[in-house]
Amino acid sequence: MEKVIIIRYAEIHLKGKNRGYFEHIFAVNMEKSLKGIRHEIHRQSGRYLVEGFADENTDLIVNKIKRVFGVHSVSVAYKVPSDMNEIFNAAKLVAGESGTFKVETHRADKTFPLNSPQISAEIGGRMLESNRLLKVDVHNPDFVINIDVRENGTALVFNKFESGADGMPVGTAGKGLLLISGGIDSPVAGHMIAKRGMKIEGLHFHSYPYTNMQARQKVNDLAAVLSEYNCGFTLNVVSVKRIQEEIHKNCNGAYMVTLLRRFMMRIAEIIADKNGDQCIITGESLGQVASQTVEGMTSSNSVIKNLPVLRPLCGFDKNEIIERSRKIGTYEISIQPFEDCCTVFLPEYPIIKPKIEDVLAEEAKLDVEGLITDALSTLEITEL
Amino acid sequence: MIYFDNAATTKPDKDCLGRAEKYLTDQFYNPSALYAEGYNLHLDLRSARESILSHIADKNAYELIITSCGSEADNQAVFCAGRRGNIVTTSGEHAAVYSAVSEAKLRGGDVRFAKLNADGSVNEESLLSLVDKDTSLVSVIHVNNETGAVNDINSLAAKVKKINSRTVFHSDGVQAYGKLPYRLSQNVDLYSLSAHKIGALKGTGALIKRKTLNIKPYIYGGGQENGLRSGTENVFGIKMLEYAADKVYGNLQENYKKISAVKGRLCELLDKNIFTVLSPQSGSPYILTVAAEGVRGETALHAVNDKGLIIGTGSACSSNAAKRHSRVITACGINDKLADSVLRISFCCNNTAEEAELAAEILNKTVGELKEALK
Repeated sequence: MEKVIIIRYAEIHLKGKNRGYFEHIFAVNMEKSLKGIRHEIHRQSGRYLVEGFADENTDLIVNKIKRVFGVHSVSVAYKVPSDMNEIFNAAKLVAGESGTFKVETHRADKTFPLNSPQISAEIGGRMLESNRLLKVDVHNPDFVINIDVRENGTALVFNKFESGADGMPVGTAGKGLLLISGGIDSPVAGHMIAKRGMKIEGLHFHSYPYTNMQARQKVNDLAAVLSEYNCGFTLNVVSVKRIQEEIHKNCNGAYMVTLLRRFMMRIAEIIADKNGDQCIITGESLGQVASQTVEGMTSSNSVIKNLPVLRPLCGFDKNEIIERSRKIGTYEISIQPFEDCCTVFLPEYPIIKPKIEDVLAEEAKLDVEGLITDALSTLEITEL
Repeated sequence: MIYFDNAATTKPDKDCLGRAEKYLTDQFYNPSALYAEGYNLHLDLRSARESILSHIADKNAYELIITSCGSEADNQAVFCAGRRGNIVTTSGEHAAVYSAVSEAKLRGGDVRFAKLNADGSVNEESLLSLVDKDTSLVSVIHVNNETGAVNDINSLAAKVKKINSRTVFHSDGVQAYGKLPYRLSQNVDLYSLSAHKIGALKGTGALIKRKTLNIKPYIYGGGQENGLRSGTENVFGIKMLEYAADKVYGNLQENYKKISAVKGRLCELLDKNIFTVLSPQSGSPYILTVAAEGVRGETALHAVNDKGLIIGTGSACSSNAAKRHSRVITACGINDKLADSVLRISFCCNNTAEEAELAAEILNKTVGELKEALK
């Protein structure tokens, strides 16, 4: 009996005239996520079917498809000819061995001799006859046998809806540059924006040898997870070692993080401009650490010339961010105890509410342009 | 590239690899097999065990149990000899003993830790005060793997036996075997060693056991190693250990003298404004532990690595100070600032004074610059 995977999509069906554009990108993204695995994807009235794959790849395909934005739910189904005996055989395969159940039928093929309630009743009756351990409970069943009689003479039989990533297909809402540290927050921020259809790429700052190779690898690992949602991920890596050394040498240590962030933003905008990114995304959450105050954001925003800075986590509590991080599969990577560049040279008492004139006075002690050029010369790019 | 992290592992010796190669190719038989090809290997291993053992112990009084690593040997000692009463060990043990006794403690055992002296050696008074009539096992590391301090295990074992003659005395000799001149006295019952620290391979270790001591196996199965460590023998690894041990013990005194000079030269050339030597004068010449206050050990490690020098560190990069500092270095009473910046430089018998000079130059310059940048 042939196994297929039913993919139902999320918000796209709300689209009007440009729906075709969204559907096209959605299909391309699904193909990308299944690259290297034998399969065919067919569109079928408001849903997609994955067919022609090897049985042992079923779970792999389901897990990959569930991470494609735009997918609302996924079901593994048996595809059989629209014939009551065939449907019954498939129903036996998806049924539990004991417990309560109900049958739900959807009949798109109005020429099929039985209507939906009749199909449900007949299959339910045969199930009861074939297995004495089963009982019908239409209100609170242990499992549901779903039957979908299609127009093309086939029926799909399945028992489970697995939730997908929802959201909009990546690539339908422009491009953005995510500042990615090794922490819990930034991958979540990236995921949220990608979910709304924006193709993101990453920019990571390191400070080797003050930070280590594990910290760097951690970011690669996080980027690899985001890559699955984002249909690929470009990771830009820049060293801010000299910038940190120069700030440490010349400026009031309490401004280390504030000044460093301004450098990061400047570098981010240069890279974003070069790559055609339309915004910068950060994982800042209001008040989470000393530098993530509205004053701190004002200070770092003020060096940005044109691009908007999206901070999707601003209103989230740490616990909410952690919960999302677990859900998307980045938490276990993020909590590895390797430091990113922000914790090296950390002042004992950082400035919590930096006044812009003080920041400018400290920054005036540095060759800002020279340091940025120097940092950009360390740029390394990895495709994940 | 200068490789000064030999306490972590050593480069496999090419001559020994050449000699042992046939045990990977032609002589692949199972030593437990009954046909001649297998049985000959069985005999070969019997002599290899004796040979490995005879460099440091009387082969009539001791036997050798081959294990998969030093850690396994330590675990067998802890879990198979420390089965009743209490276990006494030191705060300076390698994780293989420390974590094993910690597990024994979790399982309800009475485990006691002796204090360390500032150089990392065990405080004798503290150790002996913990031993009593119920002590089943005392485990004291021979050469402290983080500072190079040497414990006089024969003397400690004698004193322990005076308090309780039934106590089993074990020592982790991983950083001593093939490096220091010594022989085990009859008071030492168990002794662990590891092959890859002397030019042989990872995946082979051994537990030397006094013949009259009865212990239980740690791994059960087909009854190899006199029933004390089952599992088909790693013939190639064991032969590598035999050959490598032959080689280092053939030149033990010369190596000792030569490496003492290498360590001395490096010590002498290191800028005292940057580095504080933590290793004791009397310690193993193969380990030199220093601290460069103000520069995190790992930062220095990466920076000198880029300049062509590989060394080890006593700390891991973690923002959590309690986890960051080495347990052993902290137990030596070294303050957090120094503990943050510990570097372990360790040698093998092939290192030279020229390498030490070049290493000193790299360390002084690179770590000096970091210290300046971090001021």
